[in-house]
Amino acid sequence: MIKKELKSNIKSFIICLVLLISVFLLVYLIYPFVITDENMATMNELLQAFPEEVLKAFNMDLASIDTAYGWLKSEGFMFVLLGIGIFSSILGINIVFKEEQDKTIEYLASLPIKRSKIMTKKIFVSVFYIISLIWIFTLFNFIALLISCEFNQKEFFLLSLSPLLIGLPFFFFNLFISTLVKRDKKVLGLSLGLVFIFYIVSMLSEISDKVEFLKYFSLYTLADTRNIIANCEINIWCILISIISSVIFASLSYIFYNKKELL
Amino acid sequence: MSSVIELKHLKKYYGESRGIEDVSLSIEEGTIYGFIGPNGAGKSTTIRTMMGLINKTDGEIFLFGKPFDKDDLEIKEKTGYLPSEVNLYADLTIKEIFDYHEEFYKKDLKPRRNELVQLLKIDESKKINDLSLGNLKKVGIVLALMHSPKLLILDEPTSGLDPIMQITLHDILLKEKQKGTTILYSSHILNEISNLCDIVGFIKDGQMIKEDTMDNIKKNYFTYLKISSKDIEKIKEELGLKVIKEDDNTTTFINNLDPNTVINKLAKYNIDNLLIEEVSLEDLFINYYM
Repeated sequence: MIKKELKSNIKSFIICLVLLISVFLLVYLIYPFVITDENMATMNELLQAFPEEVLKAFNMDLASIDTAYGWLKSEGFMFVLLGIGIFSSILGINIVFKEEQDKTIEYLASLPIKRSKIMTKKIFVSVFYIISLIWIFTLFNFIALLISCEFNQKEFFLLSLSPLLIGLPFFFFNLFISTLVKRDKKVLGLSLGLVFIFYIVSMLSEISDKVEFLKYFSLYTLADTRNIIANCEINIWCILISIISSVIFASLSYIFYNKKELL
Repeated sequence: MSSVIELKHLKKYYGESRGIEDVSLSIEEGTIYGFIGPNGAGKSTTIRTMMGLINKTDGEIFLFGKPFDKDDLEIKEKTGYLPSEVNLYADLTIKEIFDYHEEFYKKDLKPRRNELVQLLKIDESKKINDLSLGNLKKVGIVLALMHSPKLLILDEPTSGLDPIMQITLHDILLKEKQKGTTILYSSHILNEISNLCDIVGFIKDGQMIKEDTMDNIKKNYFTYLKISSKDIEKIKEELGLKVIKEDDNTTTFINNLDPNTVINKLAKYNIDNLLIEEVSLEDLFINYYM
């Protein structure tokens, strides 16, 4: 079953990996040509015109984009987090639910396998793909940065861990949602919508102290990227909340899936 | 003989709407049980409840004498299921889906798989996505049978199959019966039930309304009585039977009287033509439901 699940989901994994690597490869390739002293001066002038809040939202108050690593820390990682969030959410909503949508569950449920085992095997494959995506991408960035510029390796590896802190909660949250809903194709749209809402809420919470409380309403807060860039450390609470929320959503998924009407 | 399937007052509601109201039946080992009803009567709901795909609202299900548990792997290993609509993984080939199926069973399924593939003339290299409805059904039949189950649950098994394949399937099922396999055969095609099943249960509006052996259904119910006579008005009064058709000189009655009574009652009249026709299961069905 695991082999079949790996095969069924490899397409979305490759698409996401190629997309992320392509964007970053493009940046690594063009950066040496674009970032000249003259261009940087113009860029800095342009950035000064932006309100501080906007720069904060993209971590550009903490990192200068005069190197590829600087871009990676600011805009680059925002893109990565969004990408991993989308990939994890799609996996979470689809991995079990697609069997119901395609009605293949009628066949799968007739086989001598417990529902909980179906869930376990599907979770295993999904987590494998999420971790693989993050680590292949990290490896790619590491090699590219070694070639391109100097960078803080500890900070880089901590940053590379941050997508996992949001990827797993996004996956398990969506898995849980999928055990609650009936066959309805709108669910995927809702799930992706939630990723963007969390993303925007997280950005808004960075803009002003008045709306800082919004960070408690977004899974993206768990990525803790500002803290990593500013202090080269991950807040232990972000790790704990990420693990605890994943465990809670995973447990609820098992409970609800076991009782769910599959057709 | 012990009951392989036993349903007691099974009820299923989807919120406010009825799936099944009260279904009770008992199927003994080695029996082919015809489960008949029009669309929406509750056949598929009953089957899906037995397969653990949906949760019952009330009642009891016993399979192989054990209270129903959707995670009982021993029972699942002994059960083969063919849904009315076969939905399989579109990106796999037939060979891949058969290999996948084999992974779930502890025994060697290859010999039976090859036998069925030959009987049903299946090309394993084809992709599921490219299959016609009939070919998909054939793949579903192999999946239901290749692990040699002791209980077969078939929901509209011949829909989409050409007549030759229908005959092949029936031959396969009769051989399964000889081996002692119990078969629940759900259908609205009555002729195939009459040729295959030992017992027939009728379901209407979510309730079992009749269950009988196939022989009794054929023998004991009604016949069509066709009479041509100048005294037809008097005969109608005498017999007191329901008239279902009247054309120029022949009147057709639904007859539930035995042949001797009919002959005795008609003896005093001048009869031009008399015909007693055995009712088809189709007509019996219409009489129940219409």
